[in-house]
Amino acid sequence: MENIIVCENITHYYGSRLIYENLNFEVKKGKILGLLGKNGTGKTTIINILNGYLKPRSGECRIFREKMENLSPGTKASIGLLLEGHIQHTFFNVRQIEKFYRQFYPNWKAGAYYELLRKLQVSETQRISAMSCGQRSQVALGLLFAQDPDLLILDDFSMGLDPGYRRLFVQYLKEYASNGDKTIFLTSHIIQDMEMLIDDCIILDYGRILLHKPTDYILNKFKRYTFNSSATEIKATDKLWNPEKTGNTWELYSFSPKDEIQQILEPYNIANLKEEKLSLEDAFIGLTGKY
Amino acid sequence: MITSIFYKEWIKTRRILLLSLVVFAALITYIFINVEQMFRINGATQVWTETILKDISVLTRIQWLPLILSVLFGVSQFVPEMSNKRLKLTLHLPMPENKIMFSMLAFGLSGLLILYAITYMAILGGLNIYYPPEIVWSMVEASLPWFLAGLAGYLFVAWICIEPVWRHRVFNTLIAAYALTFFMISAKSGAYMPFIPYLLAIIIVAHFFSFYSMYRFKDGSQ
Repeated sequence: MENIIVCENITHYYGSRLIYENLNFEVKKGKILGLLGKNGTGKTTIINILNGYLKPRSGECRIFREKMENLSPGTKASIGLLLEGHIQHTFFNVRQIEKFYRQFYPNWKAGAYYELLRKLQVSETQRISAMSCGQRSQVALGLLFAQDPDLLILDDFSMGLDPGYRRLFVQYLKEYASNGDKTIFLTSHIIQDMEMLIDDCIILDYGRILLHKPTDYILNKFKRYTFNSSATEIKATDKLWNPEKTGNTWELYSFSPKDEIQQILEPYNIANLKEEKLSLEDAFIGLTGKY
Repeated sequence: MITSIFYKEWIKTRRILLLSLVVFAALITYIFINVEQMFRINGATQVWTETILKDISVLTRIQWLPLILSVLFGVSQFVPEMSNKRLKLTLHLPMPENKIMFSMLAFGLSGLLILYAITYMAILGGLNIYYPPEIVWSMVEASLPWFLAGLAGYLFVAWICIEPVWRHRVFNTLIAAYALTFFMISAKSGAYMPFIPYLLAIIIVAHFFSFYSMYRFKDGSQ
C-alpha cells in the first residue's frame, strides 16, 4: 500500500530541550492514524514539521513523495489542514470564507459546506469571530469537506468542543474516511474520540515513539492486571508496564496473556490476579503512566 | 486565485481604507477652507508673496498623515494574519508562497496608491483654483516624500508584523524608524527632488523584507 506520509529520522530540539530523536513513521493510503501523547510530547510540533512550518534539527518528512519544506501547490490542494483550536480567518463571515476558498480548489463542493452549516442555525452573514468554538469547528470542518482533500491533517480536533460537537465531528470524519482513498492523520487529547475513529495509533513519549500499532491490536492485547502482593517493588520491564501499588493491591499493564503474567510474577507471591480489557484511554495511561 | 487573495485583503482592510479616505477628505477640505479664508482676508497678492518668499506650503498639515494611515492599514492587514499564526492557513493555500506574499503586498501598495492618487487629484484640483502652476507644482513636489513615506511605512509594518520573533520585531522597528527619518527631513522646495530616487530605492528594498520574515516564519523561528 502506498505511503502518503513518510517521516525519517526526525530530530528536533526547542533550545536545549529534546523533543524527538530519530523519529520514524509512515501513514499508508486509506488509513486513519492517531497521534497520542501527553502535553509537551510534540504532537503539534510534528504537524508543524509535516506542513513545512518548522524546520527540524535533522531528518525529513515527505507527503505524497514531496519534501515537507517544498510542497507544490498541487500537493497542498490535496491536503486539508486543521490547525489546533480550529483556527480560521475570523474576519470573514460564513459566506465570505466559502467564497474565498472556493477559487483555490478545483473539486470544491460548496454543498458539503452549506449542508453542515445548516445544522448550526447560524446565518450566512454571521462573522466567524462571533461564533462559539463549536460553531467555528463546524465551519472549519465544512471547509475541509468542501475542499475534498485526499489527506486530512487535524491538530487536536476535539480541543474546546463539547461532547455533542465532538461526536458530530467524529461522525463526519468517519463518513469522509469511509471512501477508501482518503487518509487522515490526527491528534487529539481526548482519546475516547479516537477509539471510535482511528485504524492505527502512535503513542509518543518524551523524545520518542513509545508504540506504533493498529488500534485493534492495542485494544485486544493490552490488558490491565491487578493482584495482591506484599512485595514492595516490582520493576517495569518490556512485559510489565507501569507497575504501581495502592495499599496492598498492585496494578500493571501488559501485552502478555494472563498465564505468562502469572509466571513472571511468581517470585512476588501474588494472589487474586485479575485481567481487565481496556479502552484506548486506559491503554494510553497504562503505556505512558499517570504522571 | 490572486483575485481571491485580494478579496481576503479587502475584507480585512476595507474599513481602514474607508476611514483613510474620510480622514484625507476631511483634512483637505479643512486646508481649502483655510486657504479660502487667507485669500479673503489677506488678498491673493499677499498670500502668493508669502508663499513664494517664505516658502510656505499649505500641505504641511498632511505631512504625517500618509505615514500614520499606511501604518494603520498595514496593521489591519497583517496583524490578523499573525494572531494565532493564521499565516499558516494563508501559506497553505495551493499557490507558490512567494506569489501569495507578493499578492498581499501588491494589494496593499495598490490600495495606498489609489488612495494617494485620489488625494492628489483633490489637492491639485483645489490648489489650481488659488495658485499658479509653479507654486502648485512646488507644493506637490515637497509633499512627495511624505507619500513615499506612506508606502515605505506600509512595507516596514508588513516586515515587522510577519517577523515571528518579538526580539527581532523590536530590532526591525528601530531600523524602520531610522529609515523613515530620511523621508521626513525638512527642506526647502525642490531640495528633495534629487533624493527621490534614493527614497524609491529604500521602498524597493523594503519590499523584499517581508519575504525574509515569511521564510523565517516558515522555518518556525522562535
